[in-house]
Amino acid sequence: MIKRYFSLLLIVLISLRLSAQVWVVPAENELRKSPFAFDDASRKAGSEIYNASCKSCHGEPGKNNPIPLVPPPPDFASVKMQSNSDGALQFKVTAGRGPMPSFKNTLSATDVWRVISYARSFNDKYVQEVSKSSEAGGASVQNVKIQISWLKDKNQVQASLSAMKDKVNQPVAGAEVKLFAKRYFGNLLIDEARTTDALGNALFNFPADLPGDSAGHVQLIARLTNEAIFGEAKADSVLIIGVPTYRPPLNEQRAMWNVVSKTPIWLLLAYTIAVLGAWGFIIYVFLQIRAIFLAGSKKDPDSAE
Amino acid sequence: MSHNSNSTGHDHSGREEDNQNSRRAFFKNFGLLGAVAAAGGAAIYSGYKYEESKPGHDFVKVLTSDNRIVEVPRDQIKDIRVDVDKLQKQGREGLKGHRFVMVIDLAKCRNARKCISACQGAHHLRPYEYHINTLVMQESEHTAPYFMPKPCQHCDNPPCVAVCPVDATFKRQDGIVLIDNERCIGCRFCIAACPYSARLFHWEEPLMAEADKGKPYNIELNVPQRKGTITKCLFSSDRLREGKLPYCVSACPNGVYYFGDENQDAVTNGTTKETFRLSELLRVNAGYQLMAELGTKPRVYYLPPKNRLFEFKDEKDPVQEPT
Repeated sequence: MIKRYFSLLLIVLISLRLSAQVWVVPAENELRKSPFAFDDASRKAGSEIYNASCKSCHGEPGKNNPIPLVPPPPDFASVKMQSNSDGALQFKVTAGRGPMPSFKNTLSATDVWRVISYARSFNDKYVQEVSKSSEAGGASVQNVKIQISWLKDKNQVQASLSAMKDKVNQPVAGAEVKLFAKRYFGNLLIDEARTTDALGNALFNFPADLPGDSAGHVQLIARLTNEAIFGEAKADSVLIIGVPTYRPPLNEQRAMWNVVSKTPIWLLLAYTIAVLGAWGFIIYVFLQIRAIFLAGSKKDPDSAE
Repeated sequence: MSHNSNSTGHDHSGREEDNQNSRRAFFKNFGLLGAVAAAGGAAIYSGYKYEESKPGHDFVKVLTSDNRIVEVPRDQIKDIRVDVDKLQKQGREGLKGHRFVMVIDLAKCRNARKCISACQGAHHLRPYEYHINTLVMQESEHTAPYFMPKPCQHCDNPPCVAVCPVDATFKRQDGIVLIDNERCIGCRFCIAACPYSARLFHWEEPLMAEADKGKPYNIELNVPQRKGTITKCLFSSDRLREGKLPYCVSACPNGVYYFGDENQDAVTNGTTKETFRLSELLRVNAGYQLMAELGTKPRVYYLPPKNRLFEFKDEKDPVQEPT
């Protein structure tokens, strides 16, 4: 009897523990909505992002074939996934938890919304609520163009933002921009996020010691942080502002561990001299023995008599 | 003498007549051959036309990489042949203009063992065969214990490469030390020479020996593994070639690993994908190398286990024993 109570208690405890693992989403995130209406274009873009970044764990939507993890990654078409609000999904993709990685630094906010747009295509009952601020006409400023230039005298990189408004190209003020330098595995944040001034310019202090390629080229990427207001904008340009860096291949030096053709010269000489010396000595000894033998076999004129 | 000049038996014919005869014979033969060729060609062509016009091709069901089953005519299937020579050549040369480095933040490691399982999955290793060992470290009785993942250090002055008698293990231009299982004779000199115990010997038949049989050998992946040879951490050189972070680095849930290029002075965290200046990271966190006093010049840096935010639990290694 006691055993039964104990097992009951155990079950209650386990279920409590499980419920404690609920992923809590902050209230403000829960209510956040997509800045744009989901359409075929966003669903298509979302499906491409899904295939590249999500499918390896979550499997194919509707087929319930995620990889075996604990807890299992939910299927995109499942009730568990679809019962989340748009804002909650956006928060979870961005923040990550446990085996679910954070996509904060790998997907832009717009790309996350595109994935959500794709996820919602598996829910027939879903009706989208677009964010209020963008309902008036999407992002208030559209088609923002960013230009990156190098101010040599100030050692600064300038990002100039402009957009077509009333058919005139006008600067965009008050937009937050981040500048990155492209590296092999990711983008390195340069300085910090800056806001554009009245002329649409944002200035970034560029580190004087950042290595570029052998000619000093550095690929710079400028990106808007507030995509809800300004839409998505990104600029990509290569400037000669890095420290020209050429480092020889690590297997170029002559070393003990390197291939035979890269043997250290002292080792090559020492070895050759040692081998030649040893064989030379042996040959010399044989020659001496032969000389003795010849000398001995020669008829001594005195003893012959 | 004359019978030697014509072996076909025209002993009495003159030289001119003989020539004409052979020319005639030649044209005759040529015409015959042409006719035969034309007839044969026509037959083949009509056969081809017939095959072409047949309503049902011979279809084969094929599973595509995006998990769809499609039907493809059997005669249009081409085998993808992996060029082993090319794999060997690119594996020996390495990636130009890079010097790969790894930074391991000991303060963050809580022995989640995800790096180990990702590595073992990629390189077809058994649960007790480690390219990365996670050691429990305690410097002295009154200091705090911590976990230390220890992969191959990819030394710039590698003792293992110096002792290899057959050039099976080698250092590439991007700093990675690899092992060629096809060249390795299993002498295990390198195991004896390595001060970090980073190398592993296949005493038994490798885990997926049967399934991997006949697969082209990828020197940057060490797959298929081979019995009687060495295997070791490869910094996932096959992934680096694609611009991706190593298996272990991207599998870590706790942000322990940073990986990057010393030439670009940047390392990227595998968990958050945030990129940092390598020099800055090492300077601020007092980064160090393992047994640097040996002069091996390791390419792996450690950040000391300061400010650990979790309790250290001395858990038994769940996969210590062979299963």
